Amino acid sequence: MTVNPDAYFAVATLLFSLGILGVISRRNLLVIYLSIELMLNAVNLILATFSRLRPDEGGTMIALFMIGVIAAEAALFLAVIVQIYRKKQTLDSDAFTELAQGKRL
Amino acid sequence: MSSSLPSLIVLLPFLGAGVMGFVYLFVPGGRDLRRFYVAVGVGAPLLAALLGLIVVGELLTLPDSASITSPLYTWVSIGSFDIDVAFVVDRLSAVMLLVVTLVGSLIHIYAVGYMWDDEGFGKFFAYFNFFLGAMLLLVLADNPILLFIGWELVGLASYLLIGFYHRDTANITAANKAFVLNRVGDFGFVSGLGLLFVLQKQPGFDFASIFAGLGGADTAMLSLVGLLLFVGAMGKSAQIPLYVWLPDAMAGPTPVSALIHAATMVTAGVYMVARFAPLYNRIPDVGLFIAGIGAASALLAALFASWQNDIKKILAYSTMSQLGYMFIAVGLGEYSNGIFHLAAHAFFKALLFMGAGAVIVALHHEQDIFKIGGLGRRLPAVRRTMLVATLAITGIPIFAGFFSKDAILAYAFASGHTTLWAMGVAVAFLTAYYMFRLYFVVFVAPGHRSPSSHASQSSSMAPLPRSMIWPLFLLAAGSIFLGFWNLPEAYGGGDWFSHGLHLADHTAHLRSAEEYMLDGLNVLVALLGIAVAYRKFVRPAHPLRPPVHRLAWQRALANTLYIDTVYDRLIVRPLRGLSDGIDRCIDPKIIDGSLRGLVALYRGIALQSARLQNGNLRWYALTFLLGVSGLSLYLLIAIGGAS
Amino acid sequence: MSVVLTWIVFLPMLSAGVLGLFRVRHTVLRAGAMLSALLVLALTLLTAVQFDPQAEGMQFVRHLPWIFQYGITYYLGLDALSLVILLVIALLMPLLYLYMWDNPTSGYWYNMLLLQTGVTGAVLSLDLVLFYLFYETMLLPIFIMIGRYGHDWNHAHAMKILLFTVLGSMAMLFAILYLGYAHYSFYGNWSFAWQDLAKLPLDPQTATWLAAGFLLAFAIKIPLLGFHTWMATAYASAPTPALVILSAIMAKLGIYGLWRFGYGIFAQVLHLYEPILLALSLVGMLYYAIHAITQKDLRKMFAYSSGSHLSLIALGVVLANLYAWSGSLYLIATHALASAGIFLMIGLIHQRTDTVQIDGLGGIASVAPRFAFFFTFFALSIVGVPGTGGFVAELLIIIGAFSVHPWLGAATATTMLAAMLFVFWMLQRTLFGAPVPSTVTFADLNRRETVMLAPLALLLVITGMAPSLFTPLFTPQIQAMLLQFVHAAGGAS
Repeated sequence: MTVNPDAYFAVATLLFSLGILGVISRRNLLVIYLSIELMLNAVNLILATFSRLRPDEGGTMIALFMIGVIAAEAALFLAVIVQIYRKKQTLDSDAFTELAQGKRL
Repeated sequence: MSSSLPSLIVLLPFLGAGVMGFVYLFVPGGRDLRRFYVAVGVGAPLLAALLGLIVVGELLTLPDSASITSPLYTWVSIGSFDIDVAFVVDRLSAVMLLVVTLVGSLIHIYAVGYMWDDEGFGKFFAYFNFFLGAMLLLVLADNPILLFIGWELVGLASYLLIGFYHRDTANITAANKAFVLNRVGDFGFVSGLGLLFVLQKQPGFDFASIFAGLGGADTAMLSLVGLLLFVGAMGKSAQIPLYVWLPDAMAGPTPVSALIHAATMVTAGVYMVARFAPLYNRIPDVGLFIAGIGAASALLAALFASWQNDIKKILAYSTMSQLGYMFIAVGLGEYSNGIFHLAAHAFFKALLFMGAGAVIVALHHEQDIFKIGGLGRRLPAVRRTMLVATLAITGIPIFAGFFSKDAILAYAFASGHTTLWAMGVAVAFLTAYYMFRLYFVVFVAPGHRSPSSHASQSSSMAPLPRSMIWPLFLLAAGSIFLGFWNLPEAYGGGDWFSHGLHLADHTAHLRSAEEYMLDGLNVLVALLGIAVAYRKFVRPAHPLRPPVHRLAWQRALANTLYIDTVYDRLIVRPLRGLSDGIDRCIDPKIIDGSLRGLVALYRGIALQSARLQNGNLRWYALTFLLGVSGLSLYLLIAIGGAS
Repeated sequence: MSVVLTWIVFLPMLSAGVLGLFRVRHTVLRAGAMLSALLVLALTLLTAVQFDPQAEGMQFVRHLPWIFQYGITYYLGLDALSLVILLVIALLMPLLYLYMWDNPTSGYWYNMLLLQTGVTGAVLSLDLVLFYLFYETMLLPIFIMIGRYGHDWNHAHAMKILLFTVLGSMAMLFAILYLGYAHYSFYGNWSFAWQDLAKLPLDPQTATWLAAGFLLAFAIKIPLLGFHTWMATAYASAPTPALVILSAIMAKLGIYGLWRFGYGIFAQVLHLYEPILLALSLVGMLYYAIHAITQKDLRKMFAYSSGSHLSLIALGVVLANLYAWSGSLYLIATHALASAGIFLMIGLIHQRTDTVQIDGLGGIASVAPRFAFFFTFFALSIVGVPGTGGFVAELLIIIGAFSVHPWLGAATATTMLAAMLFVFWMLQRTLFGAPVPSTVTFADLNRRETVMLAPLALLLVITGMAPSLFTPLFTPQIQAMLLQFVHAAGGAS
């Protein structure tokens, strides 16, 4: 079955845009995390697509490898989010501005 | 001819000052060694005077234009600025040498009595010897730089001695004023010397080579040099406009006033002009200016003196007035007459001050003549010698002042400067008036006065030590007989002094008949002045009271035209204001302020950029996105354009 | 090749190291410091005796490779210019130790030892990187002494002087590095030796910019008008020995830098800066003096006095003729002596009365005549009364100014009036009048203090009475330097 690769790219772009939109507009850390995952998967999709378009399996390999990494990262990320939640009892990203410079000076 | 004596004369008083200063400061119990200070402090000037006499005796055996030089060592030698510490005794400096050492010695002796009870006895003599050394340095210097050093050092000595009673701040203020105004003059003087050095084409900067090299110099520049040098003289010799320090300088002990502010230091300006005679002869316009300043100062000072009540201030203004005469003389080019008046004045004015000092001591430091009064019987010796000096300064025939002053006025008339001459005659009248006012009120007028005055309690009169009396007689003798040294030809003399001085005088001949008439007029004017004073103070219509000044001009004169206030408003306060302004505004606001402005700018930029880091994750993501998008767009367009 | 200069420079630092290693007691420490200062003085005098004033160029040269790759060398040498300053430093240090004799704070002593190495090193270095190193080294002890042992806002004032001087030094460092690089690009090897850099065929524009870097550093150090606001505050906060070093030596190093490197390296472009320098120093001379009039703090007053005199010295340097240069060099020495004297005595006042505010003083002359004598003497030397060395120097500078132009001469002669504006009024309010409560029990100078001040006073008198004893030491070399400068400046235009 051959699908026009443009469709894959369109889906990936859509996913990526959704991810970015999520990161920028949502305040819940879990949703932001999900949005990041979305962007990663968009990139993965592009990697796999290119790998198929060219006679080169390297892209697929990287995509597979990344799925592994993302899984590991998810564990870490969720753990961090739990820790953060324990600290402030909130998951609102705007509440975490301890590293800001502009306000204090 | 060369000799080491002149150097020795200069060094002796300095040495004395050094030894006494050391003993006073560092030897335990050294402050009370009065006999030691007398031995050294009086010994050094006496020895200097003796050596001076020997040197002058030697000089007189030489031809007129010869001089005795005494090179000591090279002071500094850089490029063509080659200055020796060398002393020269020629006819001019010989006169000054004798005046300074002889009158100086007498005043030193007088000071032993005057200062005996003062706890700073040793310090006083150290300063006094230091002054004498500096003055001798000034008059014997063989180059203008050395002269200038002496010139400044006498100013320093004057500062120290005016402020001698330093517990009273008013005295220190007076001392400061004297030094500062002198320094303003010295600023002119040193500028003149600098300019002279630059104009000097030949090597060497001693007087002889300077005068030899004057020929090629530009007259305009020389005039400037002459003017600048005279600015120095204005300060030192208390002429308009730098005179205001002299009356205040009377805050010092009376021997100081006699020696420094009457007999020697203040005449340094006259000596300097005479010393630079070859220069001033080339620039007669400047000479005329000097004479004009002299005449104006003489007149102004005489007016002030007539309205003063403080015995020492009267004498101070009188000194300024007499100095004005001398400047008329040297300004018009009759240098020897100026120097002759200087010498005569040294005697009678020192005498006047010492007499005044005796009066002041006898009355426990009362200086207001209207509170003194009627002392003639109690202090006969002082009265008699004071009378001699008063007659001398008034210009009564046979006394020294008659010959010296009349020579100046006669010359001014003969050379056609009738305005100056008329001013001189007016001053002569005023001089007679104020001097006899002083004399009559202090010695002759009947004892009266308010109960508070000291004179009414004769028991409180302090006895006068002998060392304060007999120098008066010696000076009185000088005041009487010195005049004959320069007896004019009209009176059968030969102007021996003037001829012997060997200065580049201008000459203007006057017929004997004219001279008799002029002198007669002067005597008449003087007698008139005496008569007015007699009428007012010995046979007064009302009982004698301190004058009350009702009219504005009287008050103005009594307050010396508010010159001090004017100086204060015009110079002192603006300077302080400027200083304050710098401290409060320019330094912190403008200089530091602009620096602070830079810092603020830097900080502002930093603050604004720090605001980007607001800790807000989504904000970072957005800027990140925008950046990446912008970059991608740029790449897209750039690459797309290329293909 | 001679090692004597190395010893002179590093002996104090070495002493500090040894004494610090054994953590010696106060009495040993001060004896050690004094010994090292006296040894340095002896070595310096020996050097001065062996110094040949007629010979051209540097003497006692020590030139060793240090950092090969960049041509940086250990390069010490001495000529008349540095000799005068070296003599002043070597002479002042033992007197300062005498002043500090009973001060038990050991940090004080170590800082002074390091400071001596810093200032002597800066005077003797002929390699610009080495010079820069010492130039910064001497700042550190001063910073510590003001910040740690100073008073009255000492932290802020220490920071202020540090920032100002570092700003200048940075500009200079950049210029130095650029010069070394320029040498590399012209000749293929790096060099920072002074005389190599002087020969660089820089184009005028570059040279102008590089000169600006140097001049900024020196203008701040001197300080010239407009770069001076660190001065009074630092002087007011510094402890007395540091203050003496600041005024008597460090400020002179600014002049020295201007002279050696400004005139040595940038002869052909310096004329561009001459009008500015001339104006700054002339106006500064009077500006500082006027500013001093209403100062209430003695230290600040004499800080401005010092500024006024340093402007005069700078003026003499800028005038660039034999008289002015001789006068400036002479004034460097004599003003160092006089200002050291006056600042030491202000320190003594502070020790005795706990104040240096003029309003809180008065009548000292009545209770302490020896003190009053020395204080008046030093004040008068600052005024430049004849018989003190300052007079000779001022006279020479005035003569030098007159040889350039009569108006300039007259303007320079105002220096006669400058110091006088404030000194006499100050004397009146501190020494004279009736004693006030703080001075009623004012102790007169004791023996140690007299010994400390007498050499300064004596030297001032000798330099004033017989300058011919000293001037032959430097006039031949000054003349040679002047010829070199005129040649270099003329060669470019």
